[in-house]
Amino acid sequence: MSVHLTARNVSRRYGVSTVVNGVSLDLEPGKITALLGGSGAGKSTLLRLFAGLEPLDEGEIRLGDQMLSAPGKTVPAEKRRIGLIFQDFALFPHLTAAQNVAFGLKSRGKAAARTIAAEWLARLGLTGRADAYPHELSGGEQQRVAIARALAPEPAAILMDEPFSGLDPALRGSVRDTALAAIREAGIPALLVTHDPTEALESSDAIAILQGGRLLQQGLARDVYLKPDSAAIAAALGPVSRISGPDMPAGLTGQAVPAGSELVVRPEGVVQDETSPVRATVVTSQLTGPLCRLLLDCAGQELVALVPRMTAPKAGAEIGIRLDPALTFIFQSADS
Amino acid sequence: MAGLIIAVPVFVTLIAGLVNGGGDAWSHIRDTLLVGYTGGTLGMLALTGIMILITAVPAAWLVTMYQFPGRGVFEWLLILPLAAPGYVLAYAYADLMGLMGPFQVAIRDVTGLSARDYWFPDMRNLPGLAFVLTCALYPYVYLTARAAFVSQSVCALEAARSLGASSFRRFWQVALPAARPAIAAGLALALMEAAADYGAAEYLGVPTLTFGIVRAWQSFGEPAAAARLALVLVAIVIGLILAERYTRGRAGSQQSSTRWRTVSRARLPLGAGLAASALCGLIFLVAFVLPVSRLVWLVMESRDSIAPIGRALFNTLILAGSGAALAFVLALVIALTVRQSGLVAGFARLMASTGYAIPGAVLALGALIVMGQLGLTLTGAGAIFALAWVYASRFTTSGAEPMVAALGRAPASMGYAAESLGASPLRRAVSVDLPVALSGAMAGALILFVESLKELPATLMLRPFNWDTLSVRANAYATDERLAAAALPSLLITLAGLLPVILLSWRLSRSRPGDAE
Repeated sequence: MSVHLTARNVSRRYGVSTVVNGVSLDLEPGKITALLGGSGAGKSTLLRLFAGLEPLDEGEIRLGDQMLSAPGKTVPAEKRRIGLIFQDFALFPHLTAAQNVAFGLKSRGKAAARTIAAEWLARLGLTGRADAYPHELSGGEQQRVAIARALAPEPAAILMDEPFSGLDPALRGSVRDTALAAIREAGIPALLVTHDPTEALESSDAIAILQGGRLLQQGLARDVYLKPDSAAIAAALGPVSRISGPDMPAGLTGQAVPAGSELVVRPEGVVQDETSPVRATVVTSQLTGPLCRLLLDCAGQELVALVPRMTAPKAGAEIGIRLDPALTFIFQSADS
Repeated sequence: MAGLIIAVPVFVTLIAGLVNGGGDAWSHIRDTLLVGYTGGTLGMLALTGIMILITAVPAAWLVTMYQFPGRGVFEWLLILPLAAPGYVLAYAYADLMGLMGPFQVAIRDVTGLSARDYWFPDMRNLPGLAFVLTCALYPYVYLTARAAFVSQSVCALEAARSLGASSFRRFWQVALPAARPAIAAGLALALMEAAADYGAAEYLGVPTLTFGIVRAWQSFGEPAAAARLALVLVAIVIGLILAERYTRGRAGSQQSSTRWRTVSRARLPLGAGLAASALCGLIFLVAFVLPVSRLVWLVMESRDSIAPIGRALFNTLILAGSGAALAFVLALVIALTVRQSGLVAGFARLMASTGYAIPGAVLALGALIVMGQLGLTLTGAGAIFALAWVYASRFTTSGAEPMVAALGRAPASMGYAAESLGASPLRRAVSVDLPVALSGAMAGALILFVESLKELPATLMLRPFNWDTLSVRANAYATDERLAAAALPSLLITLAGLLPVILLSWRLSRSRPGDAE
């Protein structure tokens, strides 16, 4: 019964600027797709197009075989059965948690709505908080109410706009796990808009990377991380070190790096190996949590490495390094 | 100290009402008039409140949420009726709707009927009074409701849409409850003004408590009886304040949202758009254009035989000017101490804000009682000072508001910076806070002057002998059924009233939280 939510060649312009430019994106039922991009990339606009909060200028959006948006024709948001979850929760301040959840259940009748709302609150671990008003709830509780409210009417799809970035970092993980489990269980297409690559990788099944209104790459989270199409995509998914071809220290890679190209490597791809002929000097060495971050100078080129604390060298030491081929990419230079 | 100066008149009246016997007139008033006065005030408040709500809230919702022809103009036009005090509208409407007014004349001309043969709405009753006061006071609720709608979380409305709520349900069940405290605050303000009205009630012949207070003083010469009536009136006003507090309740109204998106107004289809324009246009026409143009017409028609008002104009400038000056100093003191926490400053603020809620007639009564105790008569400088005192007592809070707002825009850390640079509290107040507060002072002074100029009952009770102001003249002419003569002072009051209103709408158009991302 669950169907795909699909955008085909969608564009949206504000005056002369094109905010979303020819995006095609297929959201699969039961899968969470992360839409990753910096601010101004067009993520929120794309979400609003899916939600029916804005009309599109080109392309079409379909839910299964039902046409939702086409130029000049927009099924209004209130008729789409697409749930929305916002960064600021957007709970109705004058309604209790239970009343908030029951808001979308008007057609079920009062008694049924109350039962369903109670079930959803229980599912998200909020049983005791049913009669609390939003301002009496903690941030994490508010967000779980918002999720219950969006899921209770059994929407055909769900869209989340930076849903967890308003939360305390200590809380974020557990709220996210509860929320995403409930969403996966619903078996509907889900879109998670985020600017945080770690969140995108941790929470989603598929990733789509948006930049300047265009979709750069989409695919399974693991594939996009391990096989980025460009240096920009590799950088969008986490920190990287970049060295352009002519500056390459001798012997650093097994492959040849052609003149007009650059090497991109993830910090965990820079491996300490005393048998390697390639030497580097440790400029700084700092414990940053589970791992130690090394800033290396390798024949005048800067490299960042993440290594376990136990084996981490001190600043000033000279070490041998090699690159993990799975985490090392060679692209045509952007400027060539 | 400033708070105390402001609060004395009301407390004197209350104590006089509680302690003194009512005098001979009181038993008469109690037995024959009290129920009528109280009923008149309560009925007027109830009807005015309902009419204000159904006028102001839909208008505010339309101009905030939808795009329709003329929306941008209506947004601030709808504030203009605030300029004309209720009694001025009462004179204009009594004339417009009267037997010799243009509507009835037209009906008789067209149908050939005589005045007895048809029904025509009569202004001289409770619904007429409520209608006139609604026209004068709905902008209070329009302003607060509009501000609440503009600053609401767009996300909450979008969440409601995604949950399948129709546009009516989004208004009724999401936006309106969230705006309820703001609307209640605006309504409480409007009804306090309505409770304080004397001129319109007197002219339209509706007995209210304020009318009774002035009457008890003027006709019976009984301050004690007037003070008893004032007790009832103050109790009703306190009831209004409590009711307003109660609506806040436990349910929150504060939006959690800290992100603002441009309120993208939905464009109404042509038919609905024209209907929205027509509704806003009708409100503006009825509340402002019709009565004001009638006054203009009356002035033009009788321009050859117009009563001289130069003297009244001079008196008004002196009296309202001295009231505004005293209130300005007090407002400045309050604005500068607003940052100071602590019992004394908090108490002063509370005292100052009671003045605003209390009708002018009650404050005037307090001043009269004080003057009586001191053996002063209503002549010369003493009377002018007493009147300035009452004006200050009533309006200081509204004059302090723009200055407090100006200070509020400056970060608190500015004061800390001054202190860390070694400035004493006095130096900080004079060289840091004062210049900042003064940026709001123009607006404050203007509001104080215009409010003082519009105030009728207190002026009527306290003015020195032979010191008629514009409002007193307008009232006297109107009461004598010389409406043509009343038109010019009424019009001048309205013109003066337009100044702060235009200033207000200008400030409003510049600060739009909903427009910032």
